[in-house]
Amino acid sequence: MTAIRIQGLTKTFDGFTALSDIDLDVAPGEFVTLLGPSGCGKTTLLKVISGFLEPTEGKIFIEGSDVTAIPPERRDTALCFQSYALFPHLTVRQNLEFGLRQKKLPRSDRDERVKDVSQKLDLAAQMDKLPNQLSGGQQQRVSLGRALVMRPKVILFDEPLSNLDAKLRDQVRIEIRRIQRDYGLTAIYVTHDQSEALAMSDRVVLLNSGRIEQVDTPETLYHRPRTRFAADFIGNSNVFTGQVLGEDSPGRWNIETPAGIFTCALEDAPHGKEVALCWRPEHAVIGETGIEARVLNRAFQGHFTDLACAAGNGEFRVQALETTAREGDVIRIHVPPDRIRLLEDRP
Amino acid sequence: MTREQLNKALLILLLVICTIWLVIPFGMAILWSLVDPSEPWTADRLLPPAMSFWRWRDMWENSSLQVAMATSYTLAPLAALLSLALATPTAYALGRIAFPGRELAKLLCLLPLVVPGFVTAIFFTSLLFQLGLHTWRFGAILFAHAVLALPYAIRIMTVSFEQVRQDHIDAARDLGATPLARFRVAFLPALRPGIFATLLIVFIQSIEEFAIAFILGSPDVVTIPTLLFSALGQDYVRPNAAVLSLILVVPNVILMLILERLLKSANPTLASGKG
Ligand SMILES: Nc1ncnc2c1ncn2[C@@H]1O[C@H](COP(=O)(O)OP(=O)(O)OP(=O)(O)O)[C@@H](O)[C@H]1O
Ligand SMILES: [Mg+2]
Repeated sequence: MTAIRIQGLTKTFDGFTALSDIDLDVAPGEFVTLLGPSGCGKTTLLKVISGFLEPTEGKIFIEGSDVTAIPPERRDTALCFQSYALFPHLTVRQNLEFGLRQKKLPRSDRDERVKDVSQKLDLAAQMDKLPNQLSGGQQQRVSLGRALVMRPKVILFDEPLSNLDAKLRDQVRIEIRRIQRDYGLTAIYVTHDQSEALAMSDRVVLLNSGRIEQVDTPETLYHRPRTRFAADFIGNSNVFTGQVLGEDSPGRWNIETPAGIFTCALEDAPHGKEVALCWRPEHAVIGETGIEARVLNRAFQGHFTDLACAAGNGEFRVQALETTAREGDVIRIHVPPDRIRLLEDRP
Repeated sequence: MTREQLNKALLILLLVICTIWLVIPFGMAILWSLVDPSEPWTADRLLPPAMSFWRWRDMWENSSLQVAMATSYTLAPLAALLSLALATPTAYALGRIAFPGRELAKLLCLLPLVVPGFVTAIFFTSLLFQLGLHTWRFGAILFAHAVLALPYAIRIMTVSFEQVRQDHIDAARDLGATPLARFRVAFLPALRPGIFATLLIVFIQSIEEFAIAFILGSPDVVTIPTLLFSALGQDYVRPNAAVLSLILVVPNVILMLILERLLKSANPTLASGKG
């Protein structure tokens, strides 16, 4: 059974389509990330799942039952707000207890759950403080705790880490994942930070202006982007349009691009003559063979060096672990055939 | 003179003016209220020749002061509550519901304030007479006071409703709160300073209001201002008027101080960005 099923979901705001035709199944205990640029509809989708927005079309199921018409207060979802939304006049303990009191849980159960969560989130020493007496990371944890004590079927996060500094973000990211696993929660996590999405998720849902672009595991999404948008949005990519010249040897196809001829390993013959292909800058090998390219710019990045190169009428980027190439040098680069992918969208 | 010195000098000047402004009328009122009837305070003397609380005692025992105070201090809190109750739904709409023409509606709510009080009083009371509301004089004054304070009440409550954060309401809802619990946890803390401010301002307005109380109330219902104005009329006795004006003004000063405190401390926990 699926924990969450989204079926043919469309949401329009007086004429403006924020989400169109979204289909998604999330398995129990799965951690799914909604990733996409600002304004692509991530928050809108989260609000539809939590019940704050009514879909224009389509249905939402939680554990098999249709919840489309159920208001947020009666949906078994808990939302972690980007702004934390802690009640400023209530102490940490009262904030954590708030949802349980609404559920009219007996005192002993309440105390036990709050204690459990406060220990897991390392908040035991802050229980009698007010939210504005806490650091940003602590407030974030209280907001997480307030959702966790509810032991919801589904927990939803709206960019919960965007207000934290980089170091704290890494730490809380790990905590969120550990707790989600410990409690066996199904989680949907919104972010526009691709590294966060790749690091945390079981699966990533890539959204582009209200549509699902690709749903895959982080590895597949990174190594096998299906569209130019996916290739560009996740990591760096060199994308070219080219002409298929023909099959070189079985499964090896030559494609001519403005930057030169690339040989790609393809399982199926390409559809048509015009194709778009992409490869990652770190997969290029600098050596004795391959395309001749002139280095336009060199940027040392610590663990690698970023080279901007020009070859023929094309430009691309190459990342090398160690290189002595300087601006103006001519180098030869080779991209292994199995590292080159054809994109689905038409050039 | 440097800029700093100039600033300092201007500040001192302002303080002096304010002090004079407050101290002279107050001091004069206090001195006049203490004039003993045995010897009048003539212009050639700096201080009253004989001072006693005789006037205070006399006014307390021999005028309608006790009745007037009872009336005024029942009227004002009731008017404050009624005005708050009447203003809240409108303020909610203006502060939390987006609709075309909202800014215009906000402005229209303030418009009554440009009409001089006496003019409003005369025509508003004639309206009440036509409606037949004047038969219950106290009720008519109460209603009028509550309605005429609405611009202030609506304005303050609108701003308060705008302060309520949508994410707090949503969070409460997401955690399963009923509408009542939502109100208590998300609305009330943000509204509280506004509620107090509204109550105090309407209270003070009602305590000080003369025209309507006079037109609707006389001769049966006497409030402190109507009593004061009658003491300013034909049988004007300055020491008696001084006693009345002090009685009128002292509670207001205290309330204003409370109000100022309230607005200053307007819930510091809400001021923080996060949380
Ligand atoms: N209540 C609304 N009325 C009209 N348009 C809206 C409303 N809410 C969202 N939108 C529009 O829907 C689109 C998607 O908004 P949404 O908030 O879901 O974006 P997002 O992906 O969460 O972006 P961000 O990363 O900036 O938070 C935006 O173009 C936005 O302008
Ligand atoms: Mg968003």
